[in-house]
Parts: sequence; C-alpha cells; structure tokens
Amino acid sequence: MVQFSMHNAWLVPLLPALSFIIIAFITKQWKKTSAILSVGSMAISCFIASLAAYGVFSNYTLTEEPMVYSVKWFSMAGLNIDVGVQLDPVSAMMMFMVTLVSTLIFIYSIGYMEGDQGYSVFFSYLSLFGASMLLLIISSNLLQMFVAWELVGLCSYLLIGFYSHKVTAREAAKKAFITCRVADFGLLLGLISLQLIFGTLDIVELSGKISNFEQYTSMGIMTIIAILIFIGPIGKSGQFPLHVWLPDAMEGPTPVSALIHAATMVVAGVYLIARTIFLFAEVPPVMDMVAAIGGFTALFAASIAITQRDMKRILAYSTISQIGYMMLALGLGSLTASMFHLWTHAFFKALMFLGAGSVLYALHHKGDIWKMGGLLRKMPVTGYTFMVGCLAISGVPPFSGFWSKDEILLTAFDSGHYILFTMAALTSFMTAFYMWRLFFLAFTGQAQHEVQVKESPRTMTLPLVVLAFFAAIAGLIGTPWAPIWQNWIFSVHPHHPQANTMIMLGSVVLALAGMYLAYNLYYLDRSKAERMAEKYSFFWALSYNKFYVDELYLWFTHTIVDGGARLFYLFDIYIVDGIIVNGIGSLTKSFGSRLRLVQTGSLQSYALVFFLGVLAVAVIMALTDPSMALGLMGGVE
Amino acid sequence: MQMDFSVIIPEIAMVSLGVLVLILGLILPKKSLPRLGWFTSFSLIGILALVVLNWNNVGTVSGGLYLIDQFSQFFKVIFLTAAILVVFGSMAYVDKHLGGQAEYYSILVFSTLGMMVMASANDFITMYLGLELMTISFIVLVCFRRNDSESLEAGMKYVLLAGISSAVLLYGLSLIYGIAGTVLVVEVGMILAVQQSLPLLLVGVVMLVAGLGFKIAAVPFHMWAPDVYQGAPTPITSFLAVGSKMASFAILIRIFVLGMFGVSLSWGILMAILAGVTIIIGNLVAIPQTNIKRLMAYSGIAQAGYILVGMVTASQAGVKAIMFYGFIYIFAVVGVFTAISYYYNLTGSDEIKDYAGLSQRSPLMAATMVVSMLTMAGIPPFAGFVGKFYLFMTVVENYLWLAIIGLIMSMVSVYYYLMVVLVMYRDRPQDSSPIVVSLPVRMTLIFTMLVSVVLGVYPGPLSEIINKAALSFFMH
Amino acid sequence: MLPMFDGIDWLGVFFYILSAVIVVSALLVVFSKNIVHSVLWLVISFIAVAGIFITLNADFLALIQVMVYAGAICIMVVLGIMLIKRDDMNKTNMFNSQLYFGGAVALMVTFLTGFASYKINYSGNPPMVPENSVESIATLLLSKYVIPFEVVALLLTVTLVGAIYIAREVKADADS
Repeated sequence: MVQFSMHNAWLVPLLPALSFIIIAFITKQWKKTSAILSVGSMAISCFIASLAAYGVFSNYTLTEEPMVYSVKWFSMAGLNIDVGVQLDPVSAMMMFMVTLVSTLIFIYSIGYMEGDQGYSVFFSYLSLFGASMLLLIISSNLLQMFVAWELVGLCSYLLIGFYSHKVTAREAAKKAFITCRVADFGLLLGLISLQLIFGTLDIVELSGKISNFEQYTSMGIMTIIAILIFIGPIGKSGQFPLHVWLPDAMEGPTPVSALIHAATMVVAGVYLIARTIFLFAEVPPVMDMVAAIGGFTALFAASIAITQRDMKRILAYSTISQIGYMMLALGLGSLTASMFHLWTHAFFKALMFLGAGSVLYALHHKGDIWKMGGLLRKMPVTGYTFMVGCLAISGVPPFSGFWSKDEILLTAFDSGHYILFTMAALTSFMTAFYMWRLFFLAFTGQAQHEVQVKESPRTMTLPLVVLAFFAAIAGLIGTPWAPIWQNWIFSVHPHHPQANTMIMLGSVVLALAGMYLAYNLYYLDRSKAERMAEKYSFFWALSYNKFYVDELYLWFTHTIVDGGARLFYLFDIYIVDGIIVNGIGSLTKSFGSRLRLVQTGSLQSYALVFFLGVLAVAVIMALTDPSMALGLMGGVE
Repeated sequence: MQMDFSVIIPEIAMVSLGVLVLILGLILPKKSLPRLGWFTSFSLIGILALVVLNWNNVGTVSGGLYLIDQFSQFFKVIFLTAAILVVFGSMAYVDKHLGGQAEYYSILVFSTLGMMVMASANDFITMYLGLELMTISFIVLVCFRRNDSESLEAGMKYVLLAGISSAVLLYGLSLIYGIAGTVLVVEVGMILAVQQSLPLLLVGVVMLVAGLGFKIAAVPFHMWAPDVYQGAPTPITSFLAVGSKMASFAILIRIFVLGMFGVSLSWGILMAILAGVTIIIGNLVAIPQTNIKRLMAYSGIAQAGYILVGMVTASQAGVKAIMFYGFIYIFAVVGVFTAISYYYNLTGSDEIKDYAGLSQRSPLMAATMVVSMLTMAGIPPFAGFVGKFYLFMTVVENYLWLAIIGLIMSMVSVYYYLMVVLVMYRDRPQDSSPIVVSLPVRMTLIFTMLVSVVLGVYPGPLSEIINKAALSFFMH
Repeated sequence: MLPMFDGIDWLGVFFYILSAVIVVSALLVVFSKNIVHSVLWLVISFIAVAGIFITLNADFLALIQVMVYAGAICIMVVLGIMLIKRDDMNKTNMFNSQLYFGGAVALMVTFLTGFASYKINYSGNPPMVPENSVESIATLLLSKYVIPFEVVALLLTVTLVGAIYIAREVKADADS
C-alpha cells in the first residue's frame, strides 16, 4: 500500500483535477453531489499522500536524492521538457499538509457556502486549486512548476473575485493578478536564463550542474538569476514590496482566504525557494537578501497589523509577517526551520481564518473587530479553538508555533545576524500583541453589535476542532529534546542547533509581554487604547494606512502605465492621422465632425504611412546589413 | 504533359464545393437557404478529412509550380479548420444580418481555396494569384453587411489599400525575378545563395516585406487593420485575422526562408526589428480601446509581431514555432470572435462596456473569451504559452532583446485582456436575462476552448507532427 | 527586331520617347483637375505602355494592353463618372492636403527604386521570344501554368459574383 502510494503519487493531483472536470461539466446542477465529489476526491488524495509521506519519512529519504518519475512533455530541437513527480521529504510533507488542510477546509466550506448561488462553481474552483497546488508541489521540473504556479494564481484570482457583485472584490482580484504577473515575469526570466545556461530545468539535473556552475557561467550571472527567481516568490508570497495584493485578497470567501491565502498558495513562494535552495546556496549575497526581505517584511507587516480593524485583514498581515519568518529562515540557510514554520503555520493560520469565517458567518459578514465583543460565550467552540490558534501563533509553549518560531530565532541568533534576530524577536512581541488585541476585542467584553449570534453548524466547527488539535501538537515533533523533524527535513546535513534556554525563555517572555499589553489595553480598559492612538497619532496613521504603499502604486499605474498607453494611442491616431493628414489646425474639427468617415482614420494617410513604412524598412535594411549599405552607396557593382 | 492530379484532390473538391453552393443558392427555395451553412461546414469537414487522409500523399503538379508537402498540408489544415469554425460561428449572424447565404458561403470557400493555393504555390505567379483570389474574396466579404456604411467603407478602404500593397508586392516579386531570372522559389533560392548582395535585391526585399507586411498587419503597414476589422461582419473579421494572416505567413516563409535563405542575414535583423515594433505598438495601442473589435485588431497586430519572431532565425525551429502558434491562434481568435458576433446578434453592440455581466448571462461565452484571451496573452497552462515559448526560444540566443520585449509586452497584453474579463465578470448586466446559445455556436465555443486547454496541457503529439512538417519544408 | 540604321539605336530612341510619354501622361492623370481629362491621359499612358511591349516583341501583350486597359477599363471608368453627377467638372479630381508630403514620399520611393535599378548590370541573355507568341502562350497556359490559369478563372468568378451581390443589394435599397 505504501509502495503503491509512493509509486503513484501522480494520483494525488489527478483526483481533484478529475473532480473539477466532473463538477464543471456534469454535476453542476446538483450541489450536494458536487460538494461530496470535491471533498471525497481530496480526502482520498490525502490518504494517498499520507501513505506516501509515511513511506518517504520511514525510509529517511534525502532531499538531495529524491525519487523521480517522469514522462516526456514536449520537445523541440535541443530542448526536452519532462513532466514528473518528485518525492522527497519536503514535497512529501507539503503534500500531506496541503491535502489535510484542504480536506478540512473543503468540509468547512460545505457549511459556510450553504445557500450561495455559485455553490458548485465554488467547489469546482476549490478542486481545481487543489489539483494545481498539488501539481506544483510534486513537480520535478521547474517549467512544470511554473505552469502550476500560474494555475494556482489563476484559481486564486477566480476565487478572490468570487463575490463578483462587490466592487472591492473585483478590484482586489485585478490587483492580485497584476501584482503576481509582475512577479511571475521575473521568475520566468530567471527560468529562461537557467534553461539557456544549463540546458535543463529538471530540478535534480539542475542541482547537479549548479554545484559546479563555474563551468557554465559566472558568479554575476548566477546572482542575477537568483534575484530574478526570487522576484516570483516575493509576489506570490506577499513579501515587501509586492505584498499589497494579499490583504485585498481577503475579499474572497473565507475558506478561500484560509486555504489559498494563508495555508497553501502563498507559501508556494517559500516552497519554490526551498526547492531551488541549491541555487541560492551558491550565491550568499542573494541569500542575505532573502533573509533581509523576509525579516523586514515580518516586522513591517506586523506593525501594520497592530492598528487594523478588519478581522481578516489583520490575519492577512499576520500571514505576510509569518511568511516573512519563513523567508528569513530560508535566507539564513535553514531549510529545516523554514519548513517547520511553514508546517505549523498552515495549521494555526488556517484555524484562525476558519474561526474568523465562523464569526463572520454569525455576524452576517461584518468584519470590524471593534463592533464585535463577547463572542466567546455565544460561540464557545469557535472562541476556544481560536484561542488555541492565538496561543500557537504568539509562541506560547507547548503550542506548535512556539517550537517553530524558536527554531527560527535560534537560527538567526546562531548565524550571527543580530539585526535580523532583533527584528524577528520584535515581530514576535508584536505578533502576540495584535493577535490578542484581536482576540480580546472580538471575543471578550460587551457585545457591540445587534445580531443574534449562535454557534456555527457542525460541518464548520468540526474542522475547527481538528485544526485546533493540530495547531496545538504539530510542533511537538520538532522539539530540541526530540528532534524528529530535524532528522527528516534538511538540506545537505541535519540541522541540530543547540537548544538555547535564554532564547527560549526570552521568546516566551516576549510573547507574554505582548499578551499582557493587549490584555491591559483591550480587556481591562479600552479607552486606554484610544488614548494611546491619539498620543502617537502620526505612527498610528502610518500603520493604519499601511505606510501608504498602495497609494504609491496607484499613483504609479495611473500616471505611468495608463499615461504611456494613451500617449501611444494618441500617436497612432492624432499624429499620424491628425497632423500628417489634416494639419494641426483642423485636428479638433476632424474629431468632432460626423461628416468624416464613420471610423477613425483616413485612407490617404494610411497609404502615406504605408510608403513611409517602405522607406523605413529600406533604411533599416541598409543600416543593418553592411554589404547592402555598401551596395546602395555604389560600393558593389 | 502528364500530371498526377490525385495530390490536388482537396483543391478540386474546394472548387466544386464553391460552385455547388452557388448553384444550390439559385435552385433552393428561399427558406431553406440557412441550411447551406450546415451543408458548407460539413463539406468542409469532409475536405479537411481528405487533406488529413492524404497527409503523406505528397508531390508536385505542373512542373514544380505547385508543391504539396507536409508543410503545405499543415497550413491547409489550419485554413480549413478556421473556415469550418468560422462557418459554424457565422450561421446565426449570416441568417440574421446578412442574407445572401449562397454568395457568402461560396465566396468564403473560394477565399479558403486562395489560401490553400498560397500554401502550396512554389512560384511567384501562383503565389500572387492565390493571394489575389483570397484578397478579392475578402473584399467582397468585408462589404457584405448591406446598408451598413461602416461595412462598405471598410470594404472600400480594404480594396484601395490592398490594391496598393498588391502592387508593391508584385513590384518586389518582379524585381526578384529580374535578379534571379526564374519565378520558381526553389531556383531563386539556389541563385541567391551564390549571388552577391545587390541594391536591387534590397529594394525587392523591402517591397516584399511591405506587401506581405500589409497582409499580416505588421507595423508600420498595419493602419488598415483596426478600421477594416471594425467595419467587417464579425465572422469575416475572425477569418481575416486568422486565415489571411496565416496564409500570408505561409508565403512569407516560402519566399524568405526557402527563396532567400542565402541572404537570411540581411533580412533577419529587419524581421526582428519589425517584430519588436509590431509587438510594442500593437499591445500598447490596444490598451485604450473601447470597441472590442478594435481591441482585437490591435491585439491581432501584436500577435502578428509574435509570429514574426519565428521568421527571424530562418531555421526549422522558427518555422515549426510559427506553424504551432498559427494552429493554436486559430482557436483563440475564432473563439473570441464567435462570442463577439453572437453577442452582437443579440445586443447590436461591440462596445466593451456593453459586455457587462456576460458571465452571468452566458457563462460559456464568457469562459470561452477568457480562455481564448489568456491563450493569446500566453498564460500557462493554455496553449498560447507553449506557442510563445517555442517562438521566443528561437531568438533568445541571438536576439535576447526581442525575447524580453515579447515577454514584457505579453504582460502588458494581460492588462487589456483583463479589462474585458473584468467587465464580463465583475460588472452588473443591464439586462440579466440568460442568453441561450445556439447549437452551432455552442459547438464552436466549446471546441475552441477545449483545444486551447488541451494543447496547452499536452502539446507533445501536435508538436511532433509539426516537427516533421517543418522538416519536410526544408527537403527540397 | 528593328534593324539599326545609321548607327542609331532606334530601339533605344523608341524606348525613351515612349517612357517620356508614359511618365508625362501619368503625371497628368494625377494633376488634371477634371477627372475626364485624367481618364484620357490614362488611355494615352496605357497605349504608350503597349508601345513598349511592341518594342520588346511582346505583341500579344501589347494587344491585350490596348484592348483591355485602354479600351475596356477606361470605358468603365468613364461610365462610372457619368453615373455620378457633378456640377463642376473642373473640381472632380481634387487634391487632399498632403500634396507636398505625399509628393516627397513618392519622390523618395522613386529615387530608391530608380537608384537600385541603375546600380545593376543586366548581363544575362534573355531567352529568345518565340515567333508565334499567342500559340506558345496558349500552350503554356493550358499545360504548365494550368493551375494559375484556373485560379485566375475563379478569381474572375468571385469578382463577378461579389460585384453583382453588392450592387444588387444597393439597388434593392434604392427601391424600398
């Protein structure tokens, strides 16, 4: 059974893909059938994935020596692209985590999406997303990975815009797509350069060739390639400065936020770097850059999260911040710590998003945490599971987040990057603060709303409980005293940092301090919080307005991009058509008058442009071809 | 002179079909005229099957003037597929807006025949006549929207500008003939391979580039395209965008890659510059468009630029990339235009803003447009990605700047395609009644969408076939 | 072949005379204000071209040139002009505003092609023109060039059908 699963891991993405096709073309009308298909296929995938993961871990397979099964995809002269499955500890862990979280979130969606018009469509998108994400994970080839990478982006875009009647959802979808395109462009350039220089995009082959890259290219080129590839993850994983799309993406249905924009897709960037860590390891400056961007993003996003009012936005900034942690760890060269945090984060962040979804479900989708309050009594399951999530993310032992965050802090400290370590520690304090601020405001105190609140249905609370269980214990496999995880997932050699009691204690103290501050400001006396905000109004405004990054981008697109396009259009119709044809004087007339031909454009000027083109082509040819130029000047008889 | 006419059976069948449709139009009662569309499309499917069955039945007719190789066979498959899809997509439109079914379908068949002749022609005379047969047929078709000044104006513009471009092309051909002393492309190739560069050759090349550049709507010979695309009946616009463009590419490849291989260094860089400029202008000018057909016209200009990229290296890989891209390009373009023309049928509007909420009214139409546009933008996993990949892989080594321009501009193209998608998916429709899509249109939409997806996910087999076809091209 | 008298290359003389006629009359086609005059200049230009064909021993082409172009086509144009009423015939062939710019571009293109043609040595011996060109053209058209020939036939069919269709619709509109 285990052998079967390991040899047939391609089934894992295939099953959700099949369910997507079946739902889209056949069972669209029958909502329940669609949902069951979707959940069922993912559950079976989860089963296969867990068996495969069991096989991989029990064999202690090395990341450097994965099991690969591949077939030819397409070819042309001098270029062969294979598609295949690559099983190693990293992909096995991801596969297991993604299928498990997906299954739970799919079940949750059965209740959450009840009564929505696009019920079946929603599940078909979810299935498609699951399939693409799993394809991305098992890719043995970077081009295949890129295709899946685009596919998950597409699903994310479709799902963000799912509530298409909302203007904000439309804008958010557009923003996500465009931002990610910018990033993917960099990634694609990087991949093409790799293909050109090394002649392959196969991960295993590449890692072999890159380990002695001096035979192929120089250090400078490698640095550029690594930076180009890193641009992709910056966009996909919402790192500074391309983080702007992720908070807006919360316009999508909450299960989507939990699945795509917290647990799985956004960590694809981290995963990509983990896959190509052999490349980054060759260029230390880029590794430092990854670490720096990760550390900065962690702090930056946390400082925004402190003042936000919308529940899901806070969680979104928290996600950005936590992914920053993962990047930081990767940049410092610790695959172990990064993947460990990715693993625990998936559970507690999915848990919190689903909890938020449950709250929004009860409050009819009003997300302002100042208008909640007192929910713990009315929604006990949601409330207490959410509390587990908060404990985990703040880093309170023995909850999962503590162990993975400790691993990262330890790595940062051991590597001697004390600035990054300080940033990470500060982030840890802020994280505890804003998460408990959220908790106290939403779940305790007086109710600030007039809605009759009741606990969500069983299909929604069950996944919460399961996720809470994992959020509590998932870290226990990687404690300093029993480093099971550290022996499974590592690059080159196992990573066993010495347990540092000072750091461990320090991080607990920071977490507790953050919690205490939040308790003080938002539980005991909420007016204190407002006074604080007034006192530091400048910083408060800066944080609340997300440091005005969005405004900057908006200004940029409006003036530069739209302006540029308009300029070219003007050139095409006014200059060619207006000045050449009619002279400047009659320009306005020609545009206002209906006497003119119905369409824009006049015949003679087109003919004129045609012959101008002939001349231009002749000039180009004469200039670019020396022998021709000589001939034209009379050199050749 | 003995000739083996078996290799040109598809062409003979096309002539018979065109004439038969005309005659049927005269003898059938008026109310059964709409059935001519079904008749034409099924006959075309039969002829397509003939071409496919005769895939390996290659040879030459009339002393090497007419050449049937796998290269031309493949282009014939492209033209016939496009024609079939266009006929399916245009039935509703023709019945409602045009009338004159017999003339419409038979001229459409003749224009397809013109393209087939172009693909197989191995000498300047046949090439030129094929081109004229196609062009004249298109002129008639562009004018086909009776009473509509826009359509007639578009036809008039097309007739005059196409006349100019034909004259220029003919002049170029005659200059090349003057240098080489033969009209056979293969012989021209052999003579030019040993010939020194001549100023006259330069002028000849310039004239050929201009004449054919007009047909494929490459900048700066593109000015006609938006006007004619906008004014022509929509199904014809799609046929113009696909058929006319790809047929002109067929002779462009034949003349340049085969006939002027010896001087390919001279025109390679020129093609690269033209491709770059065309990609840039086409994509940027598409952004502010408000009429969907004009948008598609500029997008089509940009696409011509992408396809031109395959010409730059004059290599087998380039020819193959053009053929592959051409094949997927049909489905993308016909998919979009079928939806556009069907929507025009219902609402009488081609303005982008009127597409608001199409996704709610007809998910199929909206989905087809999205898939087709994403294909054209080259986003994986749709077929356009693989196509662009092939195209740009041919130039990354020597013309990296061109590949980078192409990549940047495909990103820009996402921007304007996305604006259409946004309108369809995000805005509220003014009239939210669902649209019932008629059977032939539904078939066309689903088929084009499926092909775009399938070829994107699994391009292997098609790519193998095209590899062989492109190889056959160099076997003369 | 015309013989050479008194050392003068009569063929060359004829060529230059005819060319001058072609160029001048072609320019007059463009510059005449009255479109009927333009057509008459066009006829002269066509006939001069036929003259050049004769000096090259292409008598069949010359015949066609006179019959089709100078005859049929020009008469069609005149008929077309006749059907479109104009008050003042002196304002029927007007310039648009791009005289100078268009003229400049035209001059440059002319210079380009002229210069390139001037730079080449035509050294190859052209094949002998057959004695009876009509017969050999006929044979060629129906043997070697049968496919282009058929294509031309189809081209004419399409043109005819198309012209009739478009014109018929216009007439139907006028009636209703």
